[in-house]
This record gives sequence, C-alpha cells and structure tokens, in this order.
Amino acid sequence: MAEITNPRRSWMIVPAHDPALVMRHEGIKPDVVVLDLEYSVPPKSKEAARSGLADLVKKIGESQVDVFVRVDRDTRWADVRAAMYRGIKGVIFPGPEEPAEVAELGELIAAMERERGVDPGVTELVLMLESAKGYWNAAAIAQASPRVTALGVGRIDLTMRLGPVPQDEFRLYRFLMTRALVAARMLGKQPLGALWRPDSRGGVATKEASAKAAREARLMGFTGCVCATPDQVASVNDGFSLA
Amino acid sequence: MHTSSENIPLIGPKPMPKYIRRSLFPLSIDDPQLGEKAFSSWADAIILDFVKKPGRDWQEDLKSRMPAAIHQAAKGGAEVFVRIERDVAAAELDATVFPGISGVVLKGVTGPEDIKAAAQRLDALEQSRGIASGSLEIDVEVNTAGGVWNSLEIARASPRIGTFLVNEQELCRNLGMQAAPTLEFDPLEYIKSQMITVAISVGGQALGMSYPLSLTQGNVGADALKQAVRIARDTGFKGAVCPHAAWIKVCNEGFRPSAEEAAYYVKVIEVFAEGLKRGMASVPIDGKMIDVPVDLRAKVYLKWAHRAQARDDEKARAHAAA
Repeated sequence: MAEITNPRRSWMIVPAHDPALVMRHEGIKPDVVVLDLEYSVPPKSKEAARSGLADLVKKIGESQVDVFVRVDRDTRWADVRAAMYRGIKGVIFPGPEEPAEVAELGELIAAMERERGVDPGVTELVLMLESAKGYWNAAAIAQASPRVTALGVGRIDLTMRLGPVPQDEFRLYRFLMTRALVAARMLGKQPLGALWRPDSRGGVATKEASAKAAREARLMGFTGCVCATPDQVASVNDGFSLA
Repeated sequence: MHTSSENIPLIGPKPMPKYIRRSLFPLSIDDPQLGEKAFSSWADAIILDFVKKPGRDWQEDLKSRMPAAIHQAAKGGAEVFVRIERDVAAAELDATVFPGISGVVLKGVTGPEDIKAAAQRLDALEQSRGIASGSLEIDVEVNTAGGVWNSLEIARASPRIGTFLVNEQELCRNLGMQAAPTLEFDPLEYIKSQMITVAISVGGQALGMSYPLSLTQGNVGADALKQAVRIARDTGFKGAVCPHAAWIKVCNEGFRPSAEEAAYYVKVIEVFAEGLKRGMASVPIDGKMIDVPVDLRAKVYLKWAHRAQARDDEKARAHAAA
C-alpha cells in the first residue's frame, strides 16, 4: 500500500457566494476548506461566487488552511477558470465518469496555471464518484491525470442515480465504498468517504452520528471525508484520527 | 447414504467444485518435523514456504532440498504447492518447481502480467524437469488492492489459474483497513464475493474464511470453527488456508455437503425421479418445491459429497501405505 502521509480528514464545504459563512472556518478548523460552486450556491448567486473567489482565496490563505474549490460538473470549465488563483491547493470534480473528462480538466488547469502564474503541476484534482459509470471506471479516471490525489465517495447524487429510497439505509453504499477504496489504495490516492446513514448526513447529522460514520470509514480504510456542515468537522476529525 | 457416486452424472463437462481442497496447511521446508506434521495433519494440500538463507546461494540451496521436502509433504496423500513471491517469481520458480507439486501459490499479484510471466516460466520448467506440460497450476494469493481490482484479468491470464486464496489480514493492511474485527460487518464482504465469482467464472474456485475468524485467525474451539466454516462454505468458499492444525479436521468436514445434506439430496433425486415417471414437472418435499434445477443441484452437490469422501479415502490409503 502506498503510504498516505498527513491525510486531510475534514473537508468542510462552504458556499463560495457567502464570505461571512466562508470565514466561519477560522473557529472550526477543518483540515480543508472547500469553496463550493456546486449545490450550496443558489443558481442566481453562481456568478457572484465565481467572481469573488480570488479575494476569498487570498483571505483564507492567511489562515494556513488548505483551500480547494468544488466545481459544478455541468459548468466545470467556467468554474475552473474562476478558481485558478495562487493559493488554492486543488479542484474537486464531482461526478467524473470518463478518463477523457478528467484529462481534459487537467489540461485546462495546466493552461490556467500558466495564465495565472501558478507553479506548473501543483494544482491537485480530487474526484468524487457519483454515478454507476464513475464507479465502474474508477481506476481509469483516477489515472487520467497525474494531478489526481484523492478519490472520494459521493452520496446524494448516487442515491438519485442508483435509485434507493433516500431516507432509508443506502444498501449499495458499502459495495461502492469498497470499490472506491480498492481503486484509491491500488493507485496511492487518498480514499475519501464516510459510512453515512440517514441520521448522519448533511444538516441532520448529529455529532455522534458523524463521528461514528467517520470512525467506521477509518476502520474500512478511508482517511477523510466531506463535511456538509461545520458541526461535523470536530467529530469527523476525531473519527479519522488514529486511536 | 446408499447412492453410489457412479450413479450420479456429472453436470456439464466440469466438476463442481473443481478441486477437493478443503484445507491447505502451510509448512516450512526448514521445519525438521515437516514430514510428520504434513502426514498427521490430514490436510488436503500442503503449502511449502521457505526462507532464503543469507550468505548462501539460496537457489542452489533450495534446489538441493525441495525434492525431498515435496516428497515428505506428500506422504499423507496431500497435494503439494510452493508459495512464491511475485517480485522474484522467476528465480523462486527455478529454485522450487520439481516433480511432485501440483502447482504454485503466487503471492503479491497485482495484474495479469504477473500470471503470464509465471506461466511462461512454468512452461520451460515443465519441459526441463520432466513435468507434464501444462499440468502445473497457478493459485493466486490475493493480498493487494491491485490483485482485487484486476482479478478478472488475472483469472483470465492463463488456463493454469486454479484457485484464488484470500489472505484477508494482509489485504486489510494493504487497503489501510484495520486488520482486526472491529466492525459489526465484514469490511471485505464485497471483495470476497468478487473473488468467488471471478474464480468460478474461469472454472476455478476461491478459498477463504468467514468474518471475524478470517481476521483473528484464532485457534477457536471446534463449535465456533464449525460455525465459521459453515458460513464460509455457504458464502461460496470451497476451503481455507489453515493457520492451525486444529482447523484442518473441521475444514475437511465442513467444506463439503454434510451427511444430512447428502441424504436429503438423495431423497430429492429419488422423489423427483418418481414424479417425472408420473408425468409431473415438480414435486413437493417437506413444503419445498422440487423441480429440474433443484434436482440438478442435488445431483451436483451429491457428487461433491462423494468426491470429498473419495478424497478422504485416498488420503486414508496413503496413510495405510506409508
């Protein structure tokens, strides 16, 4: 197994259109701040979110936390152009399905690195698997760009695409986690995911449920996960910390 | 049980399972009691392990000792395998492959190229050492993420592939999992399912144990072991690597249809045959519907029971002759 040093445990999602919410991370101390251009940003605020990224990245950069930008799959090209400033560690690409998509985004990032004076090749790419096709192609898409450093398990889009009743236990989830884990470990990428259950996801998550989801994921071989709310960060950090 | 195996037709061209290998017992060729331990174990197969002695020509050393070790390991009627590391497979195969082995257990496999390289080396060794061409088997000890991910390509890489052995402790470590039974569920459940179906898809079989014994590898009591073997068998495993000699008897008895099950299959076959004579397509037994696939399964499983018994008889003859 390729050793994953200093894994990033908590990836806290913050809506990029709301600077006040973004800066809440200072008191919460996640391992990663994820400036979101996807679901947490209302459609009417997308453009404002994009145009404010440069200032936000600069501001957050002073707090020494790792900053990633989660792009929207459907608008990823414009989102990457808006996100590529010195100070971001990488881009989260939700829902990749084909190697060509990942290679293309990697090339766009390379072009933007050149344009914005970012050191070439330093910008990471994190892939969140969110479809049956993505899981089937997991190894191929993770190898499609040398920038890929982590492979994660998405959830809400999966439930939508694969069809289980969302409020019930997602019975396919452990199979999908296993598949993502095997691909990630084979390729030396950080495996991201937690064993979320109906009471441990997003806004309804209790601290205890979040810690349990993270702890079980750690025992399964995962080393970090996305936090939908600030309340999950401390629990997730605990859950992923080795006892 | 009175129905003779000769009366039960084979279903299709290949038997199920392919091999009667319920218990595989690893022993070191350096063990001074190798012969006695192998003989008294009653294992279906012995896996020979070796250590490369420093300061010596390890290949010549092994070449001089392997034929006797193979002979000793086989005295009780066990099949004999040699465990080889993928990274140095060619050199280790040269040093350890001699007449008397059934094949090699290749450890650390990550892709089909590992199998192809080993198969090519075996082609040459069979020719140079007087072993029937194509007879040596390659069994895959699955202990890496690559071995899991590429399992189908690995299984299809050579007709020599026989068995997938799931080394759960090492696999857990390779996947960054806790190699201890700390979860309420088996974290390798889906990987095991994959190994079983992939192995069977190429006419082979998978060996492994059920959770949590798969991770603790403990010398538990007979009842707990019996239960664990039953679950492993019903998952689809056809045997297990036994870390303790005490596992072997339970594995030999458990990785096969039991006497009660065999008696039931005989009843199914007889009652269904009677039903067919009366022009019926299905008949009830104890509230269950017996039709063509159930009858067929009973025949296959009964054949399995007979083959397991025949294997035990074969080992008994080897013991009597020794």
